[in-house]
Amino acid sequence: MLDFIIGKFNFWFYVILMAVGLFAMLAKRNLVKKLIGMNIFQTAIILFYVSIGVKKGNVHVPIIVGGHGHEGELIQAADYLNPLPHVLMLTAIVVSIATTGVALAIIIMIYRRYNTLNEDEIIEIRQKQLEAEV
Amino acid sequence: MKVIILIFVILSGGLLIYGTMDMPAWGDPQSPANSYVSPRYIEEAYAKTETPNIVSAVLADYRGYDTMGETTVIFTAALVCAFLLRKNSDEDEDKS
Amino acid sequence: MNNMSHQFPALIIAVPLLASLLTVPLGALNRRFCHPWLVFVTGFILCLSLGVAAHTITSGPMAYNMGGWEPPWGIAYRIDQLNALMLVLISGTALLGALYSGPSFAKELPGRQTYASALYLLMITSLLGIVITGDLFNIFVFLEISSLSAYGLIASGSPEAPFATFRYIIMGTIGASCYLLGVGYLYISTGSLNLADLSGLLPQLYHSRVVLTAGALMLVGLSLKMALFPLHAWLPEAYYTAPSTVSAVVASLYTKVAGYLMIRIIYNLFDSHFFVNIFPITTILSWAAVVALLIGSIYAIAQKDLKKMLCYSVIAQVGYIVLGIALVNKAGYSSAILTIVSEVCTKSCIFLATGAIIYRLGNSRIDNLQHLFRRMPYTMLAFTIGAFSMVGIPPTSGFFSKIYLLFACLEAGNWVFIFALLGSTILNVIYFFRVIKVACFEEPQPDYQRREAYPAVAVEEVPAAMLIPILLAATSIIAAGLGSHWIVNNFVQPLLKVVF
Repeated sequence: MLDFIIGKFNFWFYVILMAVGLFAMLAKRNLVKKLIGMNIFQTAIILFYVSIGVKKGNVHVPIIVGGHGHEGELIQAADYLNPLPHVLMLTAIVVSIATTGVALAIIIMIYRRYNTLNEDEIIEIRQKQLEAEV
Repeated sequence: MKVIILIFVILSGGLLIYGTMDMPAWGDPQSPANSYVSPRYIEEAYAKTETPNIVSAVLADYRGYDTMGETTVIFTAALVCAFLLRKNSDEDEDKS
Repeated sequence: MNNMSHQFPALIIAVPLLASLLTVPLGALNRRFCHPWLVFVTGFILCLSLGVAAHTITSGPMAYNMGGWEPPWGIAYRIDQLNALMLVLISGTALLGALYSGPSFAKELPGRQTYASALYLLMITSLLGIVITGDLFNIFVFLEISSLSAYGLIASGSPEAPFATFRYIIMGTIGASCYLLGVGYLYISTGSLNLADLSGLLPQLYHSRVVLTAGALMLVGLSLKMALFPLHAWLPEAYYTAPSTVSAVVASLYTKVAGYLMIRIIYNLFDSHFFVNIFPITTILSWAAVVALLIGSIYAIAQKDLKKMLCYSVIAQVGYIVLGIALVNKAGYSSAILTIVSEVCTKSCIFLATGAIIYRLGNSRIDNLQHLFRRMPYTMLAFTIGAFSMVGIPPTSGFFSKIYLLFACLEAGNWVFIFALLGSTILNVIYFFRVIKVACFEEPQPDYQRREAYPAVAVEEVPAAMLIPILLAATSIIAAGLGSHWIVNNFVQPLLKVVF
């Protein structure tokens, strides 16, 4: 059991972070807080992916030691971290930033219309408008 | 309401933890993720792409198509922001 | 020439992507160029897709390695009949939407056509990108482009749209993130991201808890994206408030593309035995689908607005697709694919016709539709064909997909499903014929004292650019119905051999 907790502590951290984000997204009533929850949620996934790529021991970051001019030397896969999760997460980070940007633009539109960012108040205003129409 | 959401969040967290039970331990060099596809990137990337930074080599060459998608994401987000926030863009265009 | 046709798969993505970049300077030059440009580009993609489809019918699946890197290392396309069918459906709907967008954008988004057109092309690019690629992470990237462009286009609709869109963003992001996590779980247990490669690696790992969780996460994520019953709440409001062209294209394509991904995951990534014997999540899915098709129809009956009613019927139709997928038998698989084909034609027809009604009347309240058969005869003719297809009256495509679904339920031997299917058909009849009744038969009480004639109701059809796509969509419903045997023979049969 202890082995399970310590050996995989990276997963525990990501699950906790993810739960925090999910809770904020679903339970908070302020739209900006929901958005922050969304960011935490996505960060948790990024953390999860990056932690896949780790190798224990004396390992380098995925940049060839010495750089150019070492063409002849044999490169051992065991000496470098797994580069693929890093590549995937660069893309995922960009996606998360883009989503945040679009969501913020939409929040600005919502604020212009209702003058509030509290979800309950917005629903109330919309209810009143519907009644006025009928 | 908040209590229901809290229970739901804890349950889904539990599901994720359940899924991790069979995962290889953190930092295991022999795990499938570290031993199936990625070694070839590390061993070949420099010879094939002349780039010492393996992440760049994979990002811009092996999986360059993903990166094209990534830049498209940014372009889309920029277009959406311009589309939604510019007030009547044609009016100022017509004046000028 | 032969050499060129091998590049078609890459061109299908590259052409609309570059075209969407060019739309911005072109629209800045003169906004009127946008409409012909959209029609030209989407028409060109339709030709390419048809070329690819013809190639897969005659000589089997096509493979294309992006940048020349072989599959598990680089990103590869593997285009089989299902991909080809989806490509044709998406590019066909894109062409209809592009034709329609000219007058529709000019009325609903005056002065903002340039950005709207560019986003429209990006949306089409990303949908094509999702269905053509064979790499799980690449699907995520294109899924996000499609979501972002949809958020932008939907939020530009009515004043209520931004708030509905925000809910869509929250739910859509949770869905996409669940999918991404599922991909991560698969990656950690296999080390690969390529769909074909993974389907070879996974059978040895079917009892690993990581793989079980991965499957569950991916299916939950897609259920959110396609608004399957308990996760559907965001959809009606978002689709209702969007501009007409956008809601037509989004409603006919988004849920179906997610349905396509679900087929891929259940039948190609995992195999059908996994879900039948080891991990019966398909049972849960099929019950959710049955509830969806009843609840969606019941909500649709309760609506007083035509467009909102259709938005709820989208939820019901998702139920049909998922039920076909989740029954995991041959008839169910065929019915899922036929329902996707039929739904794309039907939903685009019916939403485009509703857009035309809104274009003329300003709103789509059902009470306001009197005399519509005389005022807009062609639009309403198309609408009626669409309604027949939704109900399932031969020879429309809806009939054939429902027959297959009925066979699938019989094969599964579940009488509850059969009754639910028949019940939802009756509900469909009720809500569509209510609309047709108002539009066709409802007269104000005649005034017997009146001597002079009643004023004639003038025919006021929408512009030809809007009418043509509506009629084309209606024709495609009939064509898909009459050609359903051909579709099954050429597209579904080869797939059945692979997955069962």
